[in-house]
Amino acid sequence: MNSLLENPKPTSRDASAGGVAHQIPRNSLVLLMLAQVVVVLPHAAHLSLWIVAVGLFCGWWRAMVYQGRFGYPRAWVKLLLVLASGLGVAISETGTFSLETAVALLIVAFALKLLEMKNRRDAYLVIFLSYFVISTEFLFDQSIPIAGYGLFAMVVVTAGMIGLNQMHTVVHPVASVKLAGVLVAQALPLMLILFLFFPRIAPLWSVPLPGGARSGMSDEVTPGDIARMTRSDEIAFRVVFDAEVPRRSKLYWRGIVYSWFDSGTWSVGPVPRLKRPEDLIHWAGWNRDAVFFPEHDGIEAVEYQVLLEPTRSNWLFSLDIPWPLTSGTALTRDFRLMTNDPVNSLFRYEVRSYPGARVDEDLPDWMRDRERYLPADDNPRTVAFARRLHSESSGTLDFVSKVLNHIRARPYGYTLEPPLLPKRDSVDAFWFDTQRGFCVHYAGAFVYLMRAAGLPARMIGGYQGGEVNPVTGHLVVRQYDAHAWAEVWDSGYGWIHVDPTGAVAPERIEHGLDAALSSDDRATLSTLTNLRMGDFPGLADLMYFVESMEHRWNIWVVGYDGALQANYLKNLIGELSPLRIGLAMLVGGSASLSLVVLALFWRRRAAPSHPGVRVFRRFCDGLRRHGLTRSPEETPAVFLTRLARERGFPEGQIATLIDQLDALLYNPERQADPSELRRLRRGLRRVRLQLALNATG
Amino acid sequence: MSSASVGFSPPGGRFKRWIERRIPPTRRITLSQDTVFIFPTVTGFVFGGLVVLLILGAINYQNSLIYGVAFLLGSLFLVTILYTFRNLSGLTIELAGVGTGFVGEDVEFAVRVSRPAGAGREGVQLGWPLSIMQWVEVFDAEASTVKLFVPARMRGWLNPGRLLIETYFPLGLLRAWTWVDLDATGLVYPQPLFDDPPEPSTSQRDEGALIDPSGSDDFNDMRAYRAGDPVRHIVWRFYARSDDLVVKEYASFIDPRFILDWDNVAGDVEARLSKLTGMALTAARRDREFGLQIPGTEIPPAVGEAHLETVLKSLALYELPARES
Repeated sequence: MNSLLENPKPTSRDASAGGVAHQIPRNSLVLLMLAQVVVVLPHAAHLSLWIVAVGLFCGWWRAMVYQGRFGYPRAWVKLLLVLASGLGVAISETGTFSLETAVALLIVAFALKLLEMKNRRDAYLVIFLSYFVISTEFLFDQSIPIAGYGLFAMVVVTAGMIGLNQMHTVVHPVASVKLAGVLVAQALPLMLILFLFFPRIAPLWSVPLPGGARSGMSDEVTPGDIARMTRSDEIAFRVVFDAEVPRRSKLYWRGIVYSWFDSGTWSVGPVPRLKRPEDLIHWAGWNRDAVFFPEHDGIEAVEYQVLLEPTRSNWLFSLDIPWPLTSGTALTRDFRLMTNDPVNSLFRYEVRSYPGARVDEDLPDWMRDRERYLPADDNPRTVAFARRLHSESSGTLDFVSKVLNHIRARPYGYTLEPPLLPKRDSVDAFWFDTQRGFCVHYAGAFVYLMRAAGLPARMIGGYQGGEVNPVTGHLVVRQYDAHAWAEVWDSGYGWIHVDPTGAVAPERIEHGLDAALSSDDRATLSTLTNLRMGDFPGLADLMYFVESMEHRWNIWVVGYDGALQANYLKNLIGELSPLRIGLAMLVGGSASLSLVVLALFWRRRAAPSHPGVRVFRRFCDGLRRHGLTRSPEETPAVFLTRLARERGFPEGQIATLIDQLDALLYNPERQADPSELRRLRRGLRRVRLQLALNATG
Repeated sequence: MSSASVGFSPPGGRFKRWIERRIPPTRRITLSQDTVFIFPTVTGFVFGGLVVLLILGAINYQNSLIYGVAFLLGSLFLVTILYTFRNLSGLTIELAGVGTGFVGEDVEFAVRVSRPAGAGREGVQLGWPLSIMQWVEVFDAEASTVKLFVPARMRGWLNPGRLLIETYFPLGLLRAWTWVDLDATGLVYPQPLFDDPPEPSTSQRDEGALIDPSGSDDFNDMRAYRAGDPVRHIVWRFYARSDDLVVKEYASFIDPRFILDWDNVAGDVEARLSKLTGMALTAARRDREFGLQIPGTEIPPAVGEAHLETVLKSLALYELPARES
């Protein structure tokens, strides 16, 4: 007992150790500042630069506060920052309140909160906001790298949260990160169970969706537009066929029907006004027949699912003649598929196509008028040419083949870099003068010729072909597969598919764009596109592999929706009832948690945690080679004394060792001091060395 | 959220009765699922709200990866339940030592926390209802001793109540805690008062005047030898002349060993006890021999730490039961 005569003990209120609770431990602070950078960084891709700058500025200020160089900002500085940032968001995100605006506001608030973060409650708020910011990134990008990065960011943020509950004087930030990694890893199996079984339901209310530039096809097309798309090797969509992939030349992915021509530009045109909507559209799942759907008995259907990358438009791509299977998709009167909402994230839909089905054997009058419309006084030479050629033809089919033969016979050229055309008389300029063009030039001119001859015709936009990934067997359609072709109507046949590009560049249809391009054109494409086109076979294999991983990711993760879930779960647990799903979640959840329980509570036998014990044990293991075994009842001291006696060691050396061992091993509260351990190890090594020398000598 | 406030409320009412039955007093207890409670903190509930919000977002945006974030956070919460519980489970808590103190000071209660083999424990907080919460880490070592100080407000036995052991580790979303009764009792001495002159007058009471038979130097008288007189006091010169053994008598009054006397101090009971405590401390500091005389207790004069403790203990427990049951 302490002497009572000493000075009075300090009262508890002086004790310093108690003050930790409301402050943020320094290691946690370091992690939170790191987390802020990690979490905001990927947003730089779609945020105004100044927002990133505000975030970095606040982070820098906070780091200065951390180092004790600056104080916390005063109230008016904070107010100024908030006002300026709010104004900045309002100005830079002009127009309506979009998702980007919301995310920008969130990130600005996040940065400002970090700046004034003082106590634990602030820290928790910053942590929760961080999780939110990580999630918002997924609204813009759900690819594998971004997902992996998100997981990494979650570990860092979680480490910050762990740091809040650790004694900063003892624990290094790296240790917090390690523990966070273990925690996240142990949570992953349970997450997968939840991901698999948690019922996927339809949106509860509508939300602003990420905007951004539309990519791919557009509802207006001017010759030259699609040629520009070939600069991009971005993936437009992937297709998984139930059976074999049809031949390349059959793969016309119909997306948009251009019926309106004005000033050199093809567009969709005004939507006809009809009294009955079911005459114009048929939504999947409607329990009545589509009045306009053609006879398809005896035609072998092709079934497939399409995973469409975001287009920010409503149209979908499908083979002729499509029948929509996924709810929320519809068949239109001109036999395209469309969705209710613009496709803003990966969209998966299933289609059954009837290739070769005859559509519109009888054309309604309103449609006949629509598909024969031409602006007055435009392209007079083309109109005259068409009328003359039509009068020489025996019928529609003959006329079509005459036009195609005309293209074949004349020096028409297929190029990615067509000469610019005037707005007025653009078809004349192309057909008679430049005679060089891309698919839109040929399809557009063809439709113009047909209409000039009084035949209903329309231009179709979409993609042609695609590439089968040998790893997974799915078809990949890229932006450079964009294509335009034509349809012409003849009584008795209905709509007839004609691809005038086939007349000028048949290899485009048979083998794809790369086969049809000249070396000059190839030079204008990006290196990556050229690589994809197979200049280096080894690299192509690698690219196939990467692409197949992306595809699997899309199918299993990004595109995992209610329909896929129902499919998977039916295979997994049979009939789907809430009881079964709940039970499966319970079983899976407890199984994955049991793993964690095992890891946490399983006490491995003979796992001495004291470093001194480990050193001594290793020493004993080493001695076994010299035929010296410590019997279990021998204490280290007894063992060493026996050694000394049997092998003739100086007593003094052994005595020091025994003292060191006793000091280390028999005081459980003793933290192992590294230098002390080193001394012990050195001493034991010397003993072993002498033993070895004795043995040889 | 974790708090280090002084004076959190101990269990009371029905919960107290329940916990008395569930975790009876013991000097040493190993925590298990019978004794550890666990419940989400406010932060934990907010975290749950965050997960719900994320799931709503995932539903409305039909975004698989946001579902993923929500599910991962939810799973993290569930895994954390195990971690937080494990952080206390298996710990052995025992009373390592009890100190003493004076009223107005703090009494030290040392608590030893030892862990089973396996992973170390961190972020464990301990505290009595009136002490500060102290953090304990049991990492490399297998045990760690924490000193907790409880303010002494009244003299006598100090029972700090039940010890709160809690942890928010690792994420702060859950709190695992328990209240254990380590049967700890500290002794609180009266608050010392040093107002009175430190030297008590020695001769105010006749019966208290003592003569030192052996120690003084002042020569007083000569008398005939009696058996037992020290040999060195014999006047040998006188013996040589007369054959009578005569001894010198040294009879001076030395400073008597003084008695801390209840009747010598004024004031009410507590004031007297305080003054006597002050006197005892002063005397002990000067290495004086002293005794204690208070109603019901009489301690003969002596010196030494043990003696001081006996005296102080008597003062502390004046009119109190010898041992709190």
